Formats: sequence, C-alpha cells, structure tokens
Amino acid sequence: MTNKLFLLKFSYRNLWRFPKRTFIMLASLVIGTGFIIWNLNFSESGSKEMMKKFLAQYQGRYHITHSKYYDVENRKLFNNYKTITDEDISDKTLFTTTSRRVTAPVFASGQSKTLGILLTGLDVVQETKICSLYKMIRGGRFLEPQGHREIVLGKRLAERINVKLGDEVAVIGQAIDGSIANDLLKVVGFLDLGGGDLEESLAFTQISTAQDLMVLQPETYHQRVSFDMEHETYPDLKGVAVTSWREILPEISVSVHFIDRFTWLISIIIMVVISLGLSNTLMITFFEREQEFQSLNIIGAKTSWITTSLMIELLLLGTIAVIFGDILGFIFTWICNIHPVDISLFTGGKSIIMGGMVMQPTVRLYSVPKYYWQVPVMIFFFLGLTMIYPMIRVIRRSKNAI
Amino acid sequence: MQFEMKNVSKVYQASEENKVYGAKNINLTIKSGEFSALVGPSGSGKTTLLNLIAGLILPTEGTLSHGGKDITSFSLEERTQHRLDYMGFIFQDYQLLPVLTAAENIEFPLQLKNIDQKEIKERVLWALKQVGLENMGHRFPRQLSGGQQQRVSIARAISTRPQLILADEPTANLDSKTASDIIELFKKLNQEFHLTFVFSTHDQRLIDQVRTVMYIKDAQITETRINNNV
Repeated sequence: MTNKLFLLKFSYRNLWRFPKRTFIMLASLVIGTGFIIWNLNFSESGSKEMMKKFLAQYQGRYHITHSKYYDVENRKLFNNYKTITDEDISDKTLFTTTSRRVTAPVFASGQSKTLGILLTGLDVVQETKICSLYKMIRGGRFLEPQGHREIVLGKRLAERINVKLGDEVAVIGQAIDGSIANDLLKVVGFLDLGGGDLEESLAFTQISTAQDLMVLQPETYHQRVSFDMEHETYPDLKGVAVTSWREILPEISVSVHFIDRFTWLISIIIMVVISLGLSNTLMITFFEREQEFQSLNIIGAKTSWITTSLMIELLLLGTIAVIFGDILGFIFTWICNIHPVDISLFTGGKSIIMGGMVMQPTVRLYSVPKYYWQVPVMIFFFLGLTMIYPMIRVIRRSKNAI
Repeated sequence: MQFEMKNVSKVYQASEENKVYGAKNINLTIKSGEFSALVGPSGSGKTTLLNLIAGLILPTEGTLSHGGKDITSFSLEERTQHRLDYMGFIFQDYQLLPVLTAAENIEFPLQLKNIDQKEIKERVLWALKQVGLENMGHRFPRQLSGGQQQRVSIARAISTRPQLILADEPTANLDSKTASDIIELFKKLNQEFHLTFVFSTHDQRLIDQVRTVMYIKDAQITETRINNNV
C-alpha cells in the first residue's frame, strides 16, 4: 500500500515535471473532450429536438392502425378500407396519449382549382391536448370541438385553390362502401406549415365530418396517433399494427441516423488529431527521461514498476482532462440551453424542410448523460494507443547498462 | 558476501570478423569489506566490468557469483531484484530523481523493497546523518550543490544496507575540496559499517585511498596492487 502511494506521488510529480508541456497537453485534451461532448449533445439535441417539434406538429411518434392499413413494403401507401375501433386496442391506457384520426384522400375544389389532398378527420379535443397542430393556425381559427363540416387548410393549398375564410370547399372522394363521397366544408382557418409541400396537400376537419364523408361508423377510425415524445419505446399490441415514424418517414430517419454517425466520425477524427499531437509530446517527454529510466532499473526498479509509473502518469493526465472536459462540455451545452443555437446560421439563413414541413430554426441543447462517460472512454482508448510506441521504447531502453 | 568472477569474457560483436572485447578472461574476487578500485584509461573496460558485477549485462563466457549464487543463471527481473537486495549504486552525475526531495530519493529503493514505513523513516534519517545532510532532507536536488547531491546519492546507496556498493567515477564531477570530503565519507562508511566498495575511477586521490587497485588495459586486469598503508 505504502509502495502504491509512493508510486502515485512519484507519477503525479512527474506529470507536472514540465508544467507548460503538461498544461498544453491537458488544454488540448480538455478542449477536445469539451468540444466533442458539446458537438454530440448538439447533434442529439438538434436532431431529437427538431424531430420532436416536427413530429408533434402533425406526424406523431407512432400510429396504431389495422395490421393491413400500411403497405409493408412502402408505408407511404395505405389502405383506407382497413379501420379499427377502440375494442381492437387491448391497452386502454393508450387512449389518453393518442388521438383518433380518419384519413381520406379526396379532391378539394375551390374557386379556381381542384387538387388531390389528404383530408384528415381529427378528434379536436384530444388533438389540442397532445398535438401542436392547432398552434400552426395563421389565419382564422382551429376547428371547434362541437363544430361540424368545418375545414382548415394549408396556406399554400388555400392560395392554389383560391379560397378565403368563410368560403366553402367541395370535397369529393370514395367512401369505404364504394359510393362517391362528397361534401361542402366551410373554411375556418389556415395552417402555416412553413411553406413546405405538406402545406399544399393537407387539410383537416372534425373526425365526425370525416366519418360521415367516408361512411364510417362513429366508433370506427383509421389511426390512433401517439404524441408521447419523451420515450423511444413502442407498445406491444396484439391484433393491430404499431408503426413508428421511422418506418413511415424512413428518409428522415436515415438523415437523423447519418447526422448522429457523422458527428461520431468527426469526434473520432478530432481525437486522432489530438492523439497525434499528444503522442509526439509524450515521446519527447519519455525520451528525455530515458537515462533516468536506466538509472531506476540499475537502482532496482523493475521494468514493470517503471512502465506502471508512466501509465499512472497518463491515467492521471487523462482523468484530470476528462473531468475538466466533461465540465467544459456541460457548461457549453448549458449556455446553449439558455441561449438556443440558431441553426439558420449554418444554412445561409434558409429554412430546413424535412418531410414537407419546415423544421424549427433554433435548437435548444440539452445534456445527454451517456456522452459524459462515452467520450471519456474514447479519450482513454486513444491515450492508450498514444502510449504504445513510447512505452515499447521505454521498456527496451530501461534495460540498458550504465 | 563474496563476489567472484571466473574466466569471464564479454564480447561485443558487430560482425563475424569484428569482435570487440569489453572484458577478456577476467578472474576477480571481491571480499566483504573490500575497498577497491578499477583503474584504467577510457575504453579499457572499467565500465563493462562494473556492469558485469552489477548483473546489468551477462558475460559471453565464464561465471559470476555473489554470495554463492550464480548471477548468470538469473532472469532479467531476478538480477534487478538481486541489485535491489544486495547492491548500492553511486553515479558520476548522481542520477537523483528531480521530482523527489533528498529524503524521498533515499526512500526510493526502500519503497521498492516494500519495507515497513516506520523503518523507512528511520533508515532515511540514519542515511542522511551518515552523509551529514540531516537538515537537508526536504530539499529537492536542484536546491543542492553538486557535492550535496553526491552525498544524497551515497545515502541512497547505503540506505538499503547493501553488501556491495558500486561507484562509477563518483568524484569526477566534483571540485577538489568536495571530492576529498566525499572520499573521506567513503572511507568512513567502509571502516564504520564494513561496507564493500568498488570504484571505477581516474581520480588519483581516490586511487591513493583504496586498499586494492586493479589496473585494466585492453579489457584485461593487467595488475593488482594492494595498498597496505590503507
């Protein structure tokens, strides 16, 4: 034990033997660690925050549907004849976190044009509790819970078919009994979805209106959409399908995955560059002490003792670096939590449109706990690699004679 | 414990034709309490002999034994342990560890031996006292003069109570007065504690004070003189 404490003292003092050199090594490691943590937090917060906001607007995190509602090969395709009722869903607790929807591909006719759109019938009371779609209203109002035969349209859609508030839109489609579904719906509001493609292809009405239009029973619907954005788990339900947003919007999921992986790649490249610099400094430091290592061996220190002392030096260096690096990363992230990062700075002031909707331009960073240990593990891994060659040389040289 | 070299040769072979002898057919006995010196010009083989005695290198031919143990049969780690247990070293350039104080430098080999902490303190104080640096234990090497650093080096060498102390040109870096003081210290330690010393030296003042002088030339001991006045 005494010997170990002495070894620790010896290694610690050797670490500070060349204070400027050690300080520079520490600074590069601390700044590197802090930046990598911030960068990973930015990536995760950015992608998650943006996805959460995006999904909370309309798409939802997962859909509970009839098992044959979505096409297995391409979930952009759906079969409108496949409906469900609350009886089909075994877990009744999901009713509070999900909202019923009826989807109807229809033609919408205004004053000057007819366009194919997706008309979605909403459970207005539930939607305003758990979905932020109603916040996108930029003209008029959202649907009234007790109202009937009302419609809100994307702004661009309204412009294209030339309708104003109070006008009527004729919708024509096919009911599930095969008959022609048609109705006149009163325009009560316009949605601002950022000007993306969805803004000219989406319209919403009360679920009862959509059910009447599609000749569905009042208890029948197509989807229950979850807006629980805090969890990544999905319910395991028998008899119905649970489809995640990743399956419905694979191109966005792939983009998010790519951003995450690319950020890790950048982090590793940063670490390799820092390691090369460190390796050079360590080699110089160790080689300058070669004669000392020989003397230690002559006095009676075994090679294992000498290499252990050097490893402890590096371990101390790494420990100090990751502690301060973690703190620095946390502070950077915390600052960017209070002052969200405006991502339009990185897009030349242009909006990011994903899945036909505009992403929120600001990202509020939050700390992801796993990075505060994953990055230190990576730092220690690279420090270990950095040490291999200097250590081999020390082992060879420490055995030399006077 | 007696140290013996029998028919020891050390060949540094750069190529088949180019053989260089560091030691050639050496027979040598160092008795307990001996105060002896290896003397010869640069490149004569003094340091090779010192390295062989210390077990830092192994002979090409012949045997080395210390206290009846055949050192040539030891592994590298066993030879290191043997040095720690039975030998002390004094270097021309002191080789103190700059990050440790004088007392900690003396403590260093004792820590390697895993000696009890209380005994380590006693031995450090004893060694500092023997070299006349009782009040300088807290100083770092850079805060000490050359002579004081060599005294710390001597204290480190004697702290483990070794059977044999090997000193490579111990007075070469010291001024005349300090060198004389250090030589007196060696004599005192030899006489009071019966410590065995083997010096490698050019210093005539030291040569005059040792009992056995082994003259080395071309890797061979050419003459051994006993100084009966010492």
